[in-house]
Amino acid sequence: MALDLSMFDRFAVTFKKNDIMFCEHEPGDTFYLIQSGRVQIVKIMGEVEKIIDILNPGEILGEMAILEEAPRSASAIALDQVRALEFNRENFEVLMQGNPQIALKLLKLFTKRIYDQKRRFMILTLDDVQARVADVFLMLSETQTGADPNKDERVFNTTIDDIAHWAGMSPDKCRQVLNHFATQRRIEIYPDKIVVKNINDFQRFVGSRRKAKVE
Amino acid sequence: MPKAVEYKANSIVYFKGDNNDRVFLLKSGKVSLKYNDIETGQEMYDLIQTGEFFGVKSALGKYPREETAMVLQDSNMIVFSVPEFEQVVLNNTRIIMKMLKVFSNQLRRIQKQMRNVLSSDEQAVNPEAGLFKIGEYYLKMKRYAQALYAFRRYLTYYPSGTFSQQALLNIEAAERYAKTQGSTAPTSSQPAYAQAAAGGGLDAPQTSTTSTQTISASEEELSAVAQKYYNAVSLFSQQKYREALEEFKSIVTGGQDDEYIAKSLFEIGRCLFAMEMYDKCMGHFTTMIQRYPKHPDLVEALYYVGSCYEKKNDTEKAKNFYKKILSMSSEDAAVNRKARKAIRIIEGS
Repeated sequence: MALDLSMFDRFAVTFKKNDIMFCEHEPGDTFYLIQSGRVQIVKIMGEVEKIIDILNPGEILGEMAILEEAPRSASAIALDQVRALEFNRENFEVLMQGNPQIALKLLKLFTKRIYDQKRRFMILTLDDVQARVADVFLMLSETQTGADPNKDERVFNTTIDDIAHWAGMSPDKCRQVLNHFATQRRIEIYPDKIVVKNINDFQRFVGSRRKAKVE
Repeated sequence: MPKAVEYKANSIVYFKGDNNDRVFLLKSGKVSLKYNDIETGQEMYDLIQTGEFFGVKSALGKYPREETAMVLQDSNMIVFSVPEFEQVVLNNTRIIMKMLKVFSNQLRRIQKQMRNVLSSDEQAVNPEAGLFKIGEYYLKMKRYAQALYAFRRYLTYYPSGTFSQQALLNIEAAERYAKTQGSTAPTSSQPAYAQAAAGGGLDAPQTSTTSTQTISASEEELSAVAQKYYNAVSLFSQQKYREALEEFKSIVTGGQDDEYIAKSLFEIGRCLFAMEMYDKCMGHFTTMIQRYPKHPDLVEALYYVGSCYEKKNDTEKAKNFYKKILSMSSEDAAVNRKARKAIRIIEGS
C-alpha cells in the first residue's frame, strides 16, 4: 500500500551524494524514512570499511533511536541524492497517529532484527570453533536466495574476514579452521568465494555440537 | 474474521519450530511459553497475562515459532491471521507502541549478551574515541567530506574532549586537502559552523592554537568564530566564567554564524548559573528557548531553569521543571537522571 506522506513534508531533509547521514558512535536521536535515493550502511572494522546493507526508498534507518538515545552502531552514507523524513522521539507520536502504517512497518523491522541478532548469537554460543565457522555458513545459507535446494553444494561470496567476524574470532584463527575444513575436503577456498561441498553435512555437525552443549 | 477459540488445559497452541502465522490474544485462562535461553540453552517459562498477545514476532517476521505455547488451565483466545492482526493494531497505535518498546528491549538485551560474549573484542570501544577514530579512518582514505563530518560531530559532542585539539587540526587539514583535491570542498549541506580551524596542520604541535594560516577570507571569518567559541568553552572549563561569558556574548553580537550563536547562547546561560546570577540565568534561557524552540540543548536548559528555582528556594516551580524534563527525555539520558535525582531530593526534604 502506498503511503501518503505529504502531511510530513515539514520533516523532510535532503542529503547530497556521499553525505554522512549519521556516524557510528555518535549519539542517535533521530531516525529516517527514505523517500528517494539509496543509503549505504557501513561499519569500520579494523582498517576496513564494511558495507553492511544498502537501503532503498521506503526503508527505515536509525530506528533504535526511537526508544533510547544510544550511540549509533553503524554509519549511514547517502549513495545518491537522498530525500528522507527525519523523526525523533518527540515527533514520533505525531507520526504514529498520522500514519500507523509506518509504525507497523517499524514493528516488522524489529521482529526481523531480533531474529537476525538471535541467529547471530546462536553462532557465538557454540564452544567448538569448527562448529562456529560451520554455523556461519548455515546462517548465510538460510538467507541465500536462488540456491538449488536439491543440491548439497553452496557457494558463498564471502571473505574470510567476514566469516571471522560472524564467528567472533580472529581472522587468523578463522583461516586455520577453514584450512582444516579444506584439507578434509569439506570446503574449497578461492580468492573470491568459498564453496561448501555439502551443507547438510555442516547442518548435522553443528546440530550435534549444539545438542552436546544443552545436555 | 478473528475467531474465538477454546483450549483445554494441557493442550498445546503451537510447538517450537512450527510454521504458523497466527497471532493469539489470551482472553481468559492460563498460557505459558516454554523456550530455551539463547545463551545457556536452559529451559525458560513465560506466563502470558490475560489481555496479552502472543505469537506476534514469528507471525509478523514469518519465521518458525521459537517457543512452545502450553495451556495450563482451560483458556479462551482470539485467533488472528496476520492481516487481521495488522488491522487491529493499525486502529490502536497504543498497542504498536507498547510492542515496539517490548521488542526494542529484547533487541537491546540480545545485543548486550552478544557484547558480553565478544567482550575481549574491540566491541567495547568508547563512543568518544570511536567517533574520532572514524574521522581518522576517512582522513587516511582521503575521503575528506566524511572525515570532516566525523570530526565536526566530535567537536559538537565533545568540545573539550580528549581529542578536540587534534580534531580541530584534522578538520583544517582535511579542508586543505579537500581543496587541493578539488572535488570535495566543504559542502554547503553541512552547517557552516563546522568549518572550524584552530591551529597548524597535522604536523604542527597539538597545543598550537595561534599559528596563522593562509586561508581564504570567508574561511578565516568562520574559523575565527569557531576558534573563539572553543576558547570560551575552555575558559569556562577553567572556571573563568566572567571571561567566558564575555567571549560567548561577543560571538552572539557578532552575528556571523547561527549555529555558533545558538551554542553560545546556551553557554551564556551556563555561565550565568555558575556565577550564581539565577534571575538573569532564567530570563536568558527563557528567551533562548523562545528564539530556538528546537535548540539541541533545550532539555538541559530547562534543567538549569529548574535549578535556578531551586536555588531561589522555590521548590514547587523547580519540581515542575524537573518533571517536564522527565517527559521530554529518555530514562537513560543524563539529564533525565539528574532531574529524577533532584525530584527525589526535593521530595525527601
